[in-house]
Amino acid sequence: MRGMYYPGHGFRWLPSALAAVMLAACGAPASAPAPTAAPAATTAPAAAKPTTAPTAAGASSGTFDGTLLFGAPISLTGSTAKEGALTRDGYDLWRDTYNKAGGINVGGKHYKIETKYYDDASNAQQSATLADKLINEDKVNFLLGPYGTAPTLQVSTVAEKNKMPMIEGNGAAESIFSQGYKYTFGVLSPAQNYLRGVIDLVLTLDPKPASVAVLTADDPFSVEVADAAQKYAEQKGLQVVYSQKYPNASTDLRAPLTEAKGKNPDLLLNSGHLQESLAIVQQAKELGFSPKGFGFSVGPGTPDFQTTLQNDANYVLGGVQWTPALKYHGDDLFQTPEAYNTLYKQTFGYEPAYQSADATAVGVAFVKAIEAAGTTDQAKVRDAIAALNFMAFYGQIKFDERGINATKPMAVEQWQNGRRVTVWPTDVAEVKALWPMPAWSAR
Amino acid sequence: MDFVQHILNGLLQGCILALIGLGFSLVWGILNIINLAHAAFIMLAAYVTYFLWSLAGIDPFISLPLTMAVLFGLGYILQRYVINLVMGATILTTFLLTFGFESLLVNLALRLFSADTRQTKPIYANASFSIGPLYVPYTQLGAVVVALLLTYLLYLFLDHTRTGSSIRAVGQDRVAARLMGIDIGRTYALTFGIGAALAAASGTLLSTTSGFAPNGFSAFNVLAFSVVVLGGLGSIPGALLGGLVFGLVYEFGGTYVLSQRDVVIFAILILVLVLRPTGLLGREGYR
Repeated sequence: MRGMYYPGHGFRWLPSALAAVMLAACGAPASAPAPTAAPAATTAPAAAKPTTAPTAAGASSGTFDGTLLFGAPISLTGSTAKEGALTRDGYDLWRDTYNKAGGINVGGKHYKIETKYYDDASNAQQSATLADKLINEDKVNFLLGPYGTAPTLQVSTVAEKNKMPMIEGNGAAESIFSQGYKYTFGVLSPAQNYLRGVIDLVLTLDPKPASVAVLTADDPFSVEVADAAQKYAEQKGLQVVYSQKYPNASTDLRAPLTEAKGKNPDLLLNSGHLQESLAIVQQAKELGFSPKGFGFSVGPGTPDFQTTLQNDANYVLGGVQWTPALKYHGDDLFQTPEAYNTLYKQTFGYEPAYQSADATAVGVAFVKAIEAAGTTDQAKVRDAIAALNFMAFYGQIKFDERGINATKPMAVEQWQNGRRVTVWPTDVAEVKALWPMPAWSAR
Repeated sequence: MDFVQHILNGLLQGCILALIGLGFSLVWGILNIINLAHAAFIMLAAYVTYFLWSLAGIDPFISLPLTMAVLFGLGYILQRYVINLVMGATILTTFLLTFGFESLLVNLALRLFSADTRQTKPIYANASFSIGPLYVPYTQLGAVVVALLLTYLLYLFLDHTRTGSSIRAVGQDRVAARLMGIDIGRTYALTFGIGAALAAASGTLLSTTSGFAPNGFSAFNVLAFSVVVLGGLGSIPGALLGGLVFGLVYEFGGTYVLSQRDVVIFAILILVLVLRPTGLLGREGYR
């Protein structure tokens, strides 16, 4: 046959090879880093970042009465490596800022904050294993949350089993808090609020939208966000004309976008992740699909969204936990979102994404609780966390009986001329939202 | 009209998938190596293309031959000085070795390039032209031309050149080939290098169609594997057909059973293996 080059070998081993490839593919994040996880065990940022414990301690190392060790498994490699790094930087900024100001004051004694991170390679099981190692081998005093809902869910079980207080800032699914656990607290606004702001916002705009299409990744958190958004949209009188789940991390979404385009919705909502949000905007453009607006739960809040999409990022709306434009005045060392933003930029050379602020807020909540408890005893600190009620640079922190920071609202940001600006809620909005988005052909 | 757009989407995407499968198929068919570093080659090529474009302003379609040459060199060296050492061992050994390369390259790239999302973005990136209600993205169309051209060139090379014949000879019977005076080690390295160069071409094209980071590529190994099994190992038209069929199944799976798209694809793959173990255009080897 033409074009044939014969395989030198038969297909007898093909089924086992197929199984092996699929295993390798599925297990890649799990098995690949497993052997390296221990040596890669990172206080790695120490090597890379200028803002590490030694420099911070340099100023005042003699004045501390002891140290408190905070541990976290974080995704420094794997599918959420980017978000993991943002989380780590948020923790680092908290540590260094508080250490410079004398650390944590526990009944008159000043404790230095130390952190220990392990790379969970974006794998939830790995995250749980490492949390166990942090608690039982490294003997951390307290646990900081990992990045992502799935790892947080796994780690919460480990924390509960060991009666180890954990505050986390990067797992928002209510499933984390519906297990009846007593040692896990989250500073985030809950999942059901994620796209609510976008819907509230667009309903105030002219022309008022009448219909919406919803695309969601099929992981539990994204589905929770999308379900809540869809229900809320219907309540508010929007017609849901198309609603689809896609396999998590799909980056070819031309098929559902072609379908959604056929339904001609005024608003396209997506609940997913950064890479998917990029794919949706790019492929919508390629397909000439121009709704009046795009709203994402995750994506626009990351600087990569604009650096990748450039002008195509304009007009896109995103729900965010925190923005530098918010007008909070916090009872903590960072005080205002604006001041936090400035300090963060000075330290790391890039603007903070909300993931970083989430992480820093976790640290701030710990300091408040430990200082209120006046002891480092884990059970007492746990009770102090449950009783917290204070305003941070991040917003109000007050946990309900499940451990969710339920009172904090979400803001909405929009990319306008290459800048990310806050457009909702109206009382803190920097500018009016641009609406409707012109057709791609007219941009 | 949506239906026609779906077919178009599937065929355009299918050509890129075919190109991803082509190099994988060659290496597998001739060297009997399931190259798990294939996706890492694609990733490296995406970065080479990106940096040539962002630092030197070279258009991705112009830098394509250069990127292919770079990856050819890398593939040649890896095979010549590392993989050749274990060619006598069982397939599992090379399988693990290339898996190791994959891990190494991806994590090195994370270190060097960070996890920031990049995209090679000449002005025509993500832009499209329309024919009536149908939309055709420029870069995808360019990718189709490149994919078809490279497929044809590979066919010409294997069927009509002396070196191509020696590659096929080694694939068919390495003992006989050696007796005919073919330098086996060099031929292996050449073949692996060509596989890497083909991977590079797909990496260049992919870097223009969407944002990428070092850790987003591993799925391409499974795609390449599926395309080859579907189309038939050891067949160039097979890789092309496999890619196109895969592209269409992916698109229509995404239209009607989106959340179960992977289930449909792998069900079809298993069905093909049961009903036609050599793939659509493949042919049983000599043994």
